[in-house]
Amino acid sequence: MQIEREIVLPIPREEAWEALTEPERLEEWFANDVELDAVPGGEGVFEWDNGEVRHAVVESIEELERLVLRWDDDGTVELELVEHPAGTLVHVRETAPEWGIALELHASAAWATA
Amino acid sequence: MGDGVGAVFAALADPSRRTIVERLALAGRATPTELARVLPMTRQAVAKHLATLEHAGLVRARREGRHTVYRPDPAPLRDAGAWLDRVGAEWDERLAALARHVGQPPQAAP
Repeated sequence: MQIEREIVLPIPREEAWEALTEPERLEEWFANDVELDAVPGGEGVFEWDNGEVRHAVVESIEELERLVLRWDDDGTVELELVEHPAGTLVHVRETAPEWGIALELHASAAWATA
Repeated sequence: MGDGVGAVFAALADPSRRTIVERLALAGRATPTELARVLPMTRQAVAKHLATLEHAGLVRARREGRHTVYRPDPAPLRDAGAWLDRVGAEWDERLAALARHVGQPPQAAP
């Protein structure tokens, strides 16, 4: 199971890549305080003003194309950039391996009426 | 991820426990002996798995005479669904902030 979102940004791909990978740019939209070493195996720390802190490791990174972070709870976030007539499309996919199992059971009619 | 949801996922990560939950969901109620009769597990193994599932809140145990009867409880899975909703809402907010961020004209150099 995964959550997917898309957004088209009116900027070139190089600029979108900076917004997704540079800590000071990530602090403008992703979290309030960001440390990120955007290299394979690099570590990331994301802090929010509500006290939430999440740790991640760069699972894979392809310049101007794709960044995959693995959270310490084993979920992953994949950020992908695609050329778009209006600028650059950002595709987000957040997954956790166990979701499928939970929702599969949840969808069972017998289970729902139990 | 909250501990509750984590316990639910951990409990369901085991194929034997998923089988037990599915069987309970279909039957509505069962004792460990009844489950062991229809599943390829010993009564002891079933009892151990049921304890883990009970800890995660996925099944409820009730004493009926000499037997302990187990019933499925779907509430924790609704919590998991709520968690998915929350993550989706977080991304909606973040991407809106990203659009605002990159939509701003570049600041003049000092």
